[in-house]
Amino acid sequence: MTKPLLDAGIRTRGLRKSFGPVRAVDGLDLDIVAGETVALLGPNGAGKSTTIDILLGLARPDAGEITVFGRQPADATRSGLVSAMLQSGGLIGHVTVRELISMTGSLYRRPMPVDEVLGRAGITGIGQRRTNGLSGGQTQRVRFALALVADPELLVLDEPTVGMDVESRRAFWAAMRDFAASGRTVLFATHYLEEADEFADRVVLMARGRIVADGPATAIKAIVGGRTIRCTLPGADPDRLALLPGVTAVELRGDGLVLRAADSDAALRALLAAEPAARDIEVSGAALEDAFIALTTDAPDHPGSVPGSAHNGSVHNGSVHTGSVHTGQTTPTDQTVARGQELAR
Amino acid sequence: MSATHKDAARAAGSPRIGGSALSLTYLRLEVLRAFRVPRQYIFTIAMPLVLYLLLSSAYGTDPVEGAPVAAWFMVSMAVFGAMGGATTVGGRIAIEREIGWTRQLRLTPLSGASYLGGKAATAFLASIPSLLLLYLAGRVVKHVDLPLSTWAGVFGWTLLGLLPFVPLGILIGHLVKAETLGPLSGALFTVLALLGGIWFPVSQMPHAMASIAKALPSYWLAEAGREPLAGHTVGTHGLLMIALWTAIFSAAAIRRFSRDTRPA
Repeated sequence: MTKPLLDAGIRTRGLRKSFGPVRAVDGLDLDIVAGETVALLGPNGAGKSTTIDILLGLARPDAGEITVFGRQPADATRSGLVSAMLQSGGLIGHVTVRELISMTGSLYRRPMPVDEVLGRAGITGIGQRRTNGLSGGQTQRVRFALALVADPELLVLDEPTVGMDVESRRAFWAAMRDFAASGRTVLFATHYLEEADEFADRVVLMARGRIVADGPATAIKAIVGGRTIRCTLPGADPDRLALLPGVTAVELRGDGLVLRAADSDAALRALLAAEPAARDIEVSGAALEDAFIALTTDAPDHPGSVPGSAHNGSVHNGSVHTGSVHTGQTTPTDQTVARGQELAR
Repeated sequence: MSATHKDAARAAGSPRIGGSALSLTYLRLEVLRAFRVPRQYIFTIAMPLVLYLLLSSAYGTDPVEGAPVAAWFMVSMAVFGAMGGATTVGGRIAIEREIGWTRQLRLTPLSGASYLGGKAATAFLASIPSLLLLYLAGRVVKHVDLPLSTWAGVFGWTLLGLLPFVPLGILIGHLVKAETLGPLSGALFTVLALLGGIWFPVSQMPHAMASIAKALPSYWLAEAGREPLAGHTVGTHGLLMIALWTAIFSAAAIRRFSRDTRPA
C-alpha cells in the first residue's frame, strides 16, 4: 500500500480511554482533512495528550474507532506518514545533532535531506554540537527536527513550545508554518489561545476528554478569548443589547449588566450610544481558564454558582453554539440571545 | 478498510519498538556513543583492577584448583569487571526510558530486533575492556606466564561465558528505574559473584552452597575462563548451562521489552 486515502486524514468515532477512574478521552468524534492545520486547545487534563497518544498508536483506546490516512494509527506512524514531537522527551547523549538526525532519517524510506531538516528547524549552526550541551530551546528544535526528518504527511506536536524562549518560539512557529504551507497536515496541542489563534486554521476545543467546540480560530477566539463588559444599567433590555455589534452574549444580574464581546471596542461604542444611562463601566479580558470552566460546566442552570462568573449564555449542556462554530452534539440553530435570556432569568 | 482485526492485533501485541526496519546506522550510532565517554567504565574496570593488584597476594602462593593463584584470581576479577561492563547498557536503557527517548523511537520504523541488537552489541563490546585490562595486568604486573594458545582460550571462553549477561543487562534496563538501577545491579552482581565462586573457589564451599554455585551463570562464566588455565574446557555441560542462561535471560528481556513498548 502506498499512501492511500490521503484525503481521509484522521477520523475518530466514539473514542474513549480511561486511566482508572479518570476518563481521559470520553467519546471523541474528530475528522481532520489532509492539509489542515488544527490546534487542539484545552486546559491541562483536557485529554489532549491522550488523544495524541492514541492517534500515534502509542496508546490503545478502550472503545471507538480511529483511522489515520485510512490505516491503523501505529501503522501510519511506523510507515512515516505521521511523525511527532511528543510533549516531554530528552535526547540521547554523546551524539552530535547531525548524527542523531541522520540516524533517525535513515530509518525512513523517504527521509527529508538532513541539511534541509537542519535549515527548516533553524539549527544548521549546531549540527556538529553534541546533544548534551544544548540549551532547552535548542533541544526542542532538535526534537522538532527529528519529527521533520520523516518528511511526514501529518506532523503532530504536543505542546511544542513549552520550555522555549520567545525567540525560539517565534522561529519554531515560522518553521511550522513553512511546513504546513507545503500542503501537509499539522495537528498541535496547546493551552495557549494565542498560539491556536495565530497558527491554526481550525481550533478544536477540548475539556474533560470531550470536544466542546470546533471551528475556525476566529470563532473559537470569540467564545473563549473575548472581553467582558460590566456596567450598571437599570431596566436593560437583553434582546436589544444582544443585537449590538460585537456582543456575543448578554447577562442580567439585577441592575448589573454583563456583556460578553468578541469585539469589545465596537460593543462599547455601540453600548454608550444606545444606552447613555450605562455607568460604572468596566472592561476585562477573559481568562482562558474561566472560559473553559464556563464552557464545560455540566449543569449551567445556576449561573451564580460557578466561580469566575464567566457565564455568557453560550453554554448549553456542555456544548457551545456561536456563529459558525460547530459542535457535534446538537444543531447550532439556537440563538445565543435566547440562552442569554434564559440564563438571565 | 485496513482496520481489520488482524492489523489491530498485530499493531497491539507485537514485540517491536516501531516498525520493521533493520538499521545498521542505528547499530553504529549505539556502539559509537557507548564508547565516547570512557569514564562510565572507570568503575567497572578500575575496581576489579585495584582489587586484583591488592588482593591476589593475599591468596598466598599455593595453586588454586590446579592454576597459579595470580592467574586464577586474574580471571576472577576480569570476569567480575566484564559482568559489570556488560550491564552498563541497562543504565543507558533505564535513562532512555525515563527521558522519553524509547517512546520517540516507537514512532519510527526501527524494528525491535534492531533496537535489541544495538543494545546487545554495546553490552557485549562493553565487557571487553575489563577482560583485556585485567589480562594485561596479570601478564605485566603479576607475571602470569601462559602460552599464547592458553591466553586465546581464556579470552575466548570468557567472552562465551559472558553471553547470558548481555540479555540480563537489557532486562534490568527495561525493568527498573534509572535511580534504582545502580544499587540494584551492584547488589545483584556482588551476590552472583559471591555465590558463583568468583572470589573464592567452589571446592572450598560447603556442599549445599557449591550446588547453588554450579547452577549460576556467574559460576560458569568464571569456570569457562579458568578451565583453560589447566588445559581443560567447561565442556558440554558448561556450554549447555551458558546456553540455558542466555536463553532464559533473552526470553525474559524480550518479553519485558515488548511489554514496555506495547501501546498502553
